[in-house]
Parts: sequence; C-alpha cells; structure tokens
Amino acid sequence: MKKSFLIQFSLLLLLIILANLGLRPAENLINDELGNAGGIRVDLTGEETIFESSPTGKEPQQGGTLVLAESAHPEHLNTFTSTSAAATRILDNIYETLLGYDFRTWRYDKPVLAESFSVSEDGYTLTFKIRKNVYWHDGEQLTAHDVLFSLKSILNPFVDSAPTRSSFQKVTSARTEGDFIFSVTSSETHFRNQEILGGFHIIPKHVWDPEGLLDRYSVEDLLNPSVTREEAAIKGFADAFNVHPQGRPVGDDAEPIIGSGPWVFDKWITGDYISYAKNNNYWNADETYEEGFSEDGAYLDKVIVKVISDATARLTALKAGELDFIPRMRAVQYFTQTNTPDFLEKFQKVNYVVPAYSYVGWNNDRPYFKDKRVRQAMTMLIDRDNYNENVAYGLGIPTIGPFYIYGKQYNHNIERWPYDPQRAVELIEEAGWIDHDGDGIRDKDGIPFNFTFSVSSGSTSSKYLALMLKEDLRKVGIVVNIRQLEWSVYVENLRDRQFDVVSLLWIGGLEMDPYQIWHSDNIGDRGSNYMGFRHAEADSLIEKARYELDEGKRNAMYFRLQEIFHEEQPYTFMFYQRDPGAYLKEFHGVKWLPIRPGYRLNSWWRNTASVGATS
Amino acid sequence: MSEMAPARTYSQIVGSQFRKNKLAVMSLHIIYVLLFVFIFADFLANDKPIVMRYQGSTYFPVFREYGVKWFGLNWQDAFKSQQFKILEKKYGEGDWAIYPVIPYSSTEYNLQVKLQPPSRAHIFGTDELGRDVLSQMIHGARVSLLVGFVAVAIYVFIGVILGALAGFYGGIIDIVIQRLIEIMITFPRMFLIITIVAVMETQSIINIMIILGLTGWTGVARFTRGEFLKVKNEDYVVAAKALGYRDFRTIFRHVLPNTLTPVLVTATFGVAAAILIESGLSFLGFGAPPEQATWGSLLSSARDTLPTGWWLTTFPGLAIFITVTVYNLVGEGLRDALDPRLKQ
Repeated sequence: MKKSFLIQFSLLLLLIILANLGLRPAENLINDELGNAGGIRVDLTGEETIFESSPTGKEPQQGGTLVLAESAHPEHLNTFTSTSAAATRILDNIYETLLGYDFRTWRYDKPVLAESFSVSEDGYTLTFKIRKNVYWHDGEQLTAHDVLFSLKSILNPFVDSAPTRSSFQKVTSARTEGDFIFSVTSSETHFRNQEILGGFHIIPKHVWDPEGLLDRYSVEDLLNPSVTREEAAIKGFADAFNVHPQGRPVGDDAEPIIGSGPWVFDKWITGDYISYAKNNNYWNADETYEEGFSEDGAYLDKVIVKVISDATARLTALKAGELDFIPRMRAVQYFTQTNTPDFLEKFQKVNYVVPAYSYVGWNNDRPYFKDKRVRQAMTMLIDRDNYNENVAYGLGIPTIGPFYIYGKQYNHNIERWPYDPQRAVELIEEAGWIDHDGDGIRDKDGIPFNFTFSVSSGSTSSKYLALMLKEDLRKVGIVVNIRQLEWSVYVENLRDRQFDVVSLLWIGGLEMDPYQIWHSDNIGDRGSNYMGFRHAEADSLIEKARYELDEGKRNAMYFRLQEIFHEEQPYTFMFYQRDPGAYLKEFHGVKWLPIRPGYRLNSWWRNTASVGATS
Repeated sequence: MSEMAPARTYSQIVGSQFRKNKLAVMSLHIIYVLLFVFIFADFLANDKPIVMRYQGSTYFPVFREYGVKWFGLNWQDAFKSQQFKILEKKYGEGDWAIYPVIPYSSTEYNLQVKLQPPSRAHIFGTDELGRDVLSQMIHGARVSLLVGFVAVAIYVFIGVILGALAGFYGGIIDIVIQRLIEIMITFPRMFLIITIVAVMETQSIINIMIILGLTGWTGVARFTRGEFLKVKNEDYVVAAKALGYRDFRTIFRHVLPNTLTPVLVTATFGVAAAILIESGLSFLGFGAPPEQATWGSLLSSARDTLPTGWWLTTFPGLAIFITVTVYNLVGEGLRDALDPRLKQ
C-alpha cells in the first residue's frame, strides 16, 4: 500500500515533467513588438469597405459543410422579442428583409424582398412592390400580407419587443393593396427610415397567426391604446406570440423555423449546436452575380453553429479539426497560441473591426454614480491603455462615444479622459465622498462607497477588468465586490436594472440612432437605457436629430451629443472591437464587412479538391 | 509473562504504532508545514511590510491589517492608501521596512510582468495579470485547508449525531435516518453541489464549506451507526442503562468515545476529499469569488494560457496533489495504528 503510493507519486511527477517538456516555449510573448502574429488585420477604414482575405476565384464550388463555434446559445429565436446578437446572427440567414445594404455604396436601398420601392412626395410614405417569385420554406408564397403581419406583430404593444418597437414610434399607418403592394406611413421621416421600415425580418403569417387573429385590426388600431386595452384578442395574440414554438424550435422533432432566406433552418440541439442548410429552392439563387451587390445565394450545403462556451475548448476543437472557423477567440490565443508554422499553414488568422464597442456601465441611479464627477473619476481611474495593451493585446480601438469609429457620426474633436488617479480622487472628494468615519472606506450621507461589479461568468476579459478595478479602487478607499453571473441571469438583471456596474458590449451599425439606448423614454419597463441616463439637452438632441434629414445638420447634433456623453460619462467608453478569428484555408470567398457580424457566409465556398473534406 | 513492560497509555501505544510508518510521519510533517502556511500566510506573502520605520516611528502594517479587519482599528493617515511600495520613494533618513519573504499580495497585479516564467523576482512565475503565483498559492492554501477542515467538522458533527441516534435506538428512528441517508446518496454529490451553488446569490467559500458539510455526512453517519450497533450490547453500556443514566449521557459519555476513532480516520480522508472538491468547484468557476486566490482557480486560469504558462498548471497542481496525498497517508497511518488487529 505504502509502496504503491510512492510509485503513484513519482509517476505523476514524471508525467508532469514529461507534459511540460512536450510543450513549446512561449511562442511570441509580445509586449513591445505587437505585430500581427501571422494574421491579417482588416481595418476597413476610408474607401475600403469590403476586404477579401481568401480570393473568391473564378469558379466557386458548390457543397461542403462549415462548422463554426460560438460561445453561447441565443436565449430564443423569436426575431422580434430577441435582443441578443447570437439570435440575429442565426436569423439573418433564415429571414429576409424588404431592402438591404448595397455593399458598394453602403446605402440601404438594395431591393431584396421588395422588387422596387418609392417614397411619396412629402417623404412620409414608403411604398414597396413585393416580388412575386418568393416562396416560404414550406412552399407557400410570400405576399404583402406577410409583410403587414410582421409589422403588426412588432407594433402590438403586448408583444415583448420594446427595443425593436422604439424605432417604429412615428409609424401611423400601413396597408396592403392587392397581394403585392405594401405601404407604410409615418408622421415624421427618420433619417434611417429605409433601414427601419425596410429592414425588419418578414415572418410568415400562415405559421405565426393561422387563425388570423390580427387580421381584424389595422395598424391604427394597434397604435391606439383605447383599442388595444379593449380588445382581448390583441393581448391574446401577443401572449401566444411571445412564446410561439417557432421562437424556440429545440430538439429533433421541433417544427423548423419557416423563413424565406437562402438558408433553411435545420436543427437546434440545446447545449450542442444550431444548424442551417442551403435553401435549394431559393428564389434569388440564379440571379446574375454582381460583385458587392448580389451575393445572396449560398455555396455551402450546411452550416453548423456549435456552442462551446469555453474559449480554450474552442481553440482545441479548431486545432483538432472539429471546427472550420472560430469568429472570435481570445486575444491571448490569437497572439500567443496560434503562431506555430503548422497552425499558420492550415489556418488563416484575421482580426477584423466590427461595429461594436465595449463599455463599463455605471448605474446612474445608484447613489455612488449619481454625480457626474464620480463617473468622470471612475473613467480616469481605469487604466484603459494599459488594459488594452496587455490584456487585449492592442486589439481595442479607444473610443470616446458610442458611434462607429470609422463612420461619419463620430466626433473626432473630443479628447479622451486621461488615466489620472490623482485628479479622479480630487473629483470624488469634491462630490462629497470622503472617509468621514475613518474606517478606510469613503462614505457620503452614511452610505459607504461599496458597490458590486457584475461580470458575466464566461467573460475572462471583464473578469480581469473587474479584478484590476477592485485592486485599484481599494487603494483610494472604495470597495468593489465582484459578482459572477450566468449570462441569462446577467441579462435578466440588466433589463430589470438590478446592478451597480456592468461591463458589456453594444453592437451597432455604420450609422446609429441613439434613441433606443440613450433617451430617457427608454429607462425602465425593460427599455435599453439600462444605465438610467437622463439629460434634457441630450433628449431633445436625440429627438430632433432622428428626423433631421440633412446629414450635416444631423451630425452636428450628434457631435454635440457626444460632447454631452463625454461630460456626463454615463458609461466609460472603452474600445471599438477588433475580433480575432481563424478559419481553415480550404475556404474561399471569405469577405469581411463593416456590418455585423463582420462576415457573411453566403459568399464562402469550400475547396474540397485540395484536401479531403473533414466533416 | 516473564517480563513486565512499563504501563503504557492508549495514546502512547497508538503513537508508537504510528511512528513506525515512516511515510505517514513524513506526511504529518508536511501537514505541519501546511498549517504553518495556513496561519502565517499574511506574513509570508504580502505587499505590506511586517515592520517599518517611517518618519521616526515604528509601524507593523501586517498586524495593523488584522486590527483594521477585525477590531475596527483604522489605518494611520500616512498609510490610508496602503501603497507601501510607493511610499518607499518618500523615505527619509533612517526609514526602512522589512517585507515578507514574498513581497506581493495575492491580488496585486502588474500587467508589465504578466505571464513571466519563474524567475528570481517571481519564484513560481506570474499569471495573465502579472500577479505572483506563489503568493496566490500561499493564500490559496488558506482556502483549501479551511474548506477541508470546516466542511469535515460540519459533516462529522451531523453524521455522528444522526448515526448515534440511529444505532442506539434502532427501530423507527433507525429506519427514518437510514432512508434519509439513502436519499442523500442517490444524488450525485458534485452535481448537487453545483446546482446549489448556481442558485446561491453570492459566491463565497463559506457557502462552499456549508454545502460540503451538509452533503457529506452520510458516510460518517453509517460508520457511527455500525459502531454503535457493535458496542451497544457491551457490558458497560448495559451497566450504564441499568444504573438508570439518561440516554443522552449513555450515548455521549459512554458509547460515543468508544466509537469515535474510526470516524476520525474517515475524517482525515474526508479533508482530502473536500480539498479536491473545492479545487474542482473553483476550477469550474463555481467556487470562491474571483478575487479570492485558490488552487483550483489558479489551475483554471492556467488552462486559458496553455501551452504558454506551464508554471501556472504545475505548481498549483502539485500543491493539490501533495496535500491530498499527505492527508490520505496520514489517514492510512492512523487507521493502521488504531487497528488492534495489526498490533504485534
């Protein structure tokens, strides 16, 4: 017995030593010389708006499977009630919109489901002519009634779609003429009108509302509170809509999501994967290919989105050949764990800008963060450059506000708050947070400066940020507690505004309407102004700018708005993101775009001739 | 008997038996070292000086920290920010400070030296935030040992009482307690713990200790019950009953002391098991809060940086392995020493 222990012990020691001998030394521990670790950096600044990292080639091959990995499942797949980016990434393939981006001009005027559209003389009415050759995945024809139904679902006040609905506030009426004309009227013209009114997903009426519950009500009825209060059917529809099985098609036997897009929903196996397959009857498949304009048909047979929550496991799976593509890996992996010649020979590494920024959000209604001086001080206490350089390996692009850093709305005249703990402490003391009772913790009106930093348990980078902040603030007499929460709980707390501090990412677009996140209308009631930012001038600027069609005037207002954000610091704006990813070199037609999620699988094709197919 | 051996007490006999087992004795010494680390962690690894002379007065910042934490004392004005290393720049004539052997706290980060392999400045290297690994291990030892001892203490307490009641009374009480044990052991323990931890509002090692304690008592209860069944018909128990002692006194004064030794042996193994479970939980991110250094969380952060940071897996892994092994060896030594059948 005793001998066996000794033997086990020495065996284990030997194993550990052997395991470590087999490891390669640190490949490229970058500190001063960042480099790009054998990858391509895609910045998409200036004129260049699409970057192709693996050429399309002349004759793309059909067929093949792509397996990619994401870190989490979407909560559900109900397109109007979901706010999660993971759901959008799936649903954008299955559902379609009336209009889309023209990738050459980046204007939102490419006809998709609409064959053409026209704007009335006063600018308030948009009329779409719907294509007559579009069929749902179940064979039914797509008509203007589906379009109207989709809009009604969004506008139904009982449908859990407040964030989506906030863009549709000025819609006054919508109607169909015959089966293929759809028109919608607003009382004011939003500067992103086409993107909003032509950019929502069209869902099939015959699947979501087979009994035609909403048929009896017009858009005007749905917008009229006295009607919606009276009519029980409106609420009844919404209750069913919020939990409709189409929004959660989990399991082998679930009815698939019915859409009209180039991909057909295949399966959602919880904890494992979501897959979608090529739509062989896609209406747009044989349309003449035009670079940057019509790239809608798909080449691949199937896309499997695996869910692997752990970053290390994702990279291991990629190296083991179980995955073909990781859209996002950790910076430390990109820069230090994927530099071997083997890896670089097999995989292409890319880091690409996405219109998403990270921030630390201070709940403005908490006593600690009510005063803007404290929020400014908090910003000055976070050593952002040090963090970016060492934790994010320089992948972040420092930002002063929420607008897309390479877009026209971004105000480049504002100088970022410096890292300046001394000035920060002065501001905190000015705001009245002084250690009155001498216990080493600052307090004001009897409340100790002791707050909780909520961290999503999957996010290593926000955990590190929280740990750094905790250590730094301890030194100035502020206590930070760190709380790790499961993502779904985290989001739930966020919506109910039950948090002091969060660290998160907002995904935006090339142009953004700040109303949803920054207007005081959207505080509470599960609106997206989670931080509770209230500012009269900001509110009026946001309201005016949305309906200002003159770009110069509008952006002047947004410039002013960013000055307010800068002064008020409702968030500490951290970085615009570069996502580091890697894909198998067998893939061609790999393009990177400045819209989310940064890549479009439609143009990808797999060269199976060069290497045997892996999956 | 031709020779008269000097009278030896029970503990002397056990002690001499135990000492014959070299491996167990060695393990016991390692446990002493661990206990030393456990008690003096703050004096071994800290970013505050143990003693310092500053502007004509002598201070003891590490002791002061205990005072601030537990006795409501305050930091001296000069040390409010607790940045003693920055204070060094202000040192005048005759100012000095003596730091612990490892002059880093477990939370102090320095991104400039992140992921450094072992060197003279950082004997076990640094992690992704440039925190000293050895310092984290020393403070992590506290968590591991504390969890081990407290969890086992809780479940030994519960287990002994329930086992004693079941064994002594038998009948309906026995049946109820036995079924309770069976219900408890049908749950896979690790999953049960993870489920409870996931529901908990806050993360803390106190929760972990309580949960481990509340879920681990079944083995001890069965053991005690068995021993009670063995002993309860012995003459001295019958005598106690005949003398009209109350059950409480019979159970706890007369029977229990004679059944406790095997329980202590299982408890020793239990400490090792609890340490392992705590490491596992921390590794999965369910254990101690993120700012609390534990061996398991060190291992888990190391996984993110492999293959680069071998020192992040090796040292905490060895620490867990050695600790668990020495507890098992001591447990085994104790068992052998206590077992009368093995006595020559």
